[in-house]
Amino acid sequence: MVVSAGPRVEQPASAEELASRLLEAAASHAAVLPVGGGRARAMGDPATRCDIELHTSRLDRVLEHSQADMVVSVEAGITLEALQEELGKAGQFLPLDPFNSPGHTIGGLLATGWTGPLRLRYGSPRDFLIGIRVALPDGKLASAGGRVVKNVSGYDLMKLHYGALGTLGVIVAASFKVFPRPLRDVTLETTFESRDEAWSAAARALAMPLGPSALELFSDGRLLARFTGSPDAVERTSTDLGWKPGPASVWVEHSRRASERWARFAVPPQDLRRVLDSLPGDAQWWASPGVGVAHWSIETDADGVRAARAVAEAARGTLVLMAAPADFVREVGAWGTPPATLDIMRRLKRAFDPDATLNPGRFVV
Amino acid sequence: MALAEGAAVELRRIVGRESVIDSANDLRIFERDASIEGALPDAVVLPSTTQHVSDVIKVAARHKIPVVPRGAGTGLSGGAVTIRGGIALQVSRMRGIEIDTVAQTALVEPGVVNKELTLVAARHGLFYAPDPSSQNACTIGGNAAENSGGPHCLYYGVTTNHVLGMEVVFADGSVHWVSGDSPERIGLDLCGVLVGSEGTLCAITKIKVRLLRIPPTVATLLAAFPTIEAASHAVSAVIARGIVPAALEMMDQVTVGAVEAHYHAGYPTDAGAVLLVEVDGIAESTRELIAAIRDVLAKNEGYAMREAETPAERDLLWAGRKGAIGALGRIKPNYYLHDGVVPRSRLPQVLSAVGEIGEHYGLPVANVFHAGDGNLHPNILFDLRESGIMHQVEDAGEEMLRAVVELGGALSGEHGIGLEKSAYMPWVFSPDDLDSMHRVKDVLDEDGILNPGKIFPDPSRKSIRLAGRTGVAIEAKWW
Repeated sequence: MVVSAGPRVEQPASAEELASRLLEAAASHAAVLPVGGGRARAMGDPATRCDIELHTSRLDRVLEHSQADMVVSVEAGITLEALQEELGKAGQFLPLDPFNSPGHTIGGLLATGWTGPLRLRYGSPRDFLIGIRVALPDGKLASAGGRVVKNVSGYDLMKLHYGALGTLGVIVAASFKVFPRPLRDVTLETTFESRDEAWSAAARALAMPLGPSALELFSDGRLLARFTGSPDAVERTSTDLGWKPGPASVWVEHSRRASERWARFAVPPQDLRRVLDSLPGDAQWWASPGVGVAHWSIETDADGVRAARAVAEAARGTLVLMAAPADFVREVGAWGTPPATLDIMRRLKRAFDPDATLNPGRFVV
Repeated sequence: MALAEGAAVELRRIVGRESVIDSANDLRIFERDASIEGALPDAVVLPSTTQHVSDVIKVAARHKIPVVPRGAGTGLSGGAVTIRGGIALQVSRMRGIEIDTVAQTALVEPGVVNKELTLVAARHGLFYAPDPSSQNACTIGGNAAENSGGPHCLYYGVTTNHVLGMEVVFADGSVHWVSGDSPERIGLDLCGVLVGSEGTLCAITKIKVRLLRIPPTVATLLAAFPTIEAASHAVSAVIARGIVPAALEMMDQVTVGAVEAHYHAGYPTDAGAVLLVEVDGIAESTRELIAAIRDVLAKNEGYAMREAETPAERDLLWAGRKGAIGALGRIKPNYYLHDGVVPRSRLPQVLSAVGEIGEHYGLPVANVFHAGDGNLHPNILFDLRESGIMHQVEDAGEEMLRAVVELGGALSGEHGIGLEKSAYMPWVFSPDDLDSMHRVKDVLDEDGILNPGKIFPDPSRKSIRLAGRTGVAIEAKWW
């Protein structure tokens, strides 16, 4: 039996250094696993090879925060919390509140595409990522986009790397459009005995003339909403809805949520209830009904996950494993049925990473 | 140059004899879009179905004939110009609209006019947010290809933020859906890359877009400022106050004068600049936000503020903004509308540079633009009958664009790169940046038949005078 020494850990101090480490790895046919905060390390299929862990932890600077322009550029290894602290000094924030917090890096969040409750109002980083810089396996550093909030100069390659799990290149820096803190930000909560009533209440909250910025429904019948905007409008909406005020800290608590085995449903919002109803009655989940996303704390066996995935896919949606023990992931598959464009995706992968240096076997391509 | 006889026969077999245009006279209609450069296609093909588009592209692929998708031809960067000849794929017959009121989405064909979608959606209390100034004519297919914007994109975002999925035809004629109704997809975000790819990666045959509920109230405010600088500061101050209005538009004195003479909308002609601010939402919200905005504007030298009291008044205020470019015809018969974006705080600097460049060339310049986004639109006014004027206009435009880039800006905010700006791409992108884009192009369109000659610089075509001024692309230098 050969005892493996495990992957070598590299922690480059600059984007240029990271790019040359990547080039060296590619040239020697080593497999590279990019690592940010390690919060999504168990996402994806188990890598078929892993020789080097390439950490972005030393790339943690704010490159520029232009307060008046409400634009920020950061290195990829900065944590979301550190970035929020910087933005907070100017009364601004990045509307991103992923689960399994704290400790996510910006690069990791862009690579995985993880989002949280605020996606309802603000969309995902896909919508407010305005520039990106990526180290490629051939040692090049390539940028796309810019530092302005509206830009159609060249292909939108931010979208190519967002959610690609670091398989085309390693994100080393990014620019975002940021947002002013809302004038008023109110948290409301309520609980229903019956799940049926809870779904109806969620629908009612979503249909309010001032829609919620976040609305979370839990499998135990609990509901959590966040209304933001002008004080009078938020007041009136809170009164009309009639739920009880809650502390803002519930959102921080909520963002810590994760399990040893968990999965994400993403389906057309109108089908989310039907999909979740197909789970066993005691299933633990939390959902953003207005977005069509739900997270499920898996307690079934592999067959249970396969069955849930079949329901999600029949509704034109997806079920992706967020984390699970490697054997379980191997059994179920992290991603599900690939789209008909898989061949195009594979060709794109080869164009950027011809030797399969990055995350081999872990992603769809 | 005509199409190979075999190809022409095949095209007629696919779409029918009457749906292929190739007589010299008729082709002239398709020579241009709304930009300055034109070129004749060899044939215009009018598909009615996705199958037609697929079959036409298969023929083109076999014969290596360029294919250029075309909507209404209102594009301002030459995206629909058949600069290398070939087939203009005119999608105007593909104009189906299906509204899903439960999902609040619309499935539209590429020839649907932007305004038409808005009108149909309104019957269900819904609207489609991106509203380019050409919305009465431009098509959703063109909007998706160019990633178009509009005045209300400040709050609502541009086209890419509203496209949920698309049915596309790739360069080999294969038909695929990319993304769709679900908020996540498996694998790479092809849809996100294809939106805004200007017809160079695929032809679009269906677009699934998100619709939004029409806000119950809208408040529109007009305010005058002594100078462009003061108005620019006011724009930043509104946003710094934590308010992102639905729209925040600026017009300079030249524009206001022309608009007022034409529309009598009550714009203050003595002002150095005018801001048009709109907020929407529930009544409590608009009331409170407009009061706060008035306060911020007043503290930043705003005066003569006027709020639309009725929908008719609101329309009149917007008529001035949306019709501004036509009204400029009072000053000179021709215009060249530019598009660039700077970080919002650089607006005063870039506008003064634009003014100086205009003066240097003796060309009047009118500015009417999306101030909230830092997206400027200098309009160079001229009379084409003056000999050699076009050269001056293009030189002035190039210098303005250079000023935008030197202030950390982008080549285009919403018009696209197309033919017009491809030569300037190395100003902002390094060879490695461009190489990344090329890889995508080469994977999706190996033979380069889809809208060739666009986006990427073509050294054989156009020389730019300012090219040698900096050796390194702005982006590469900056990170």
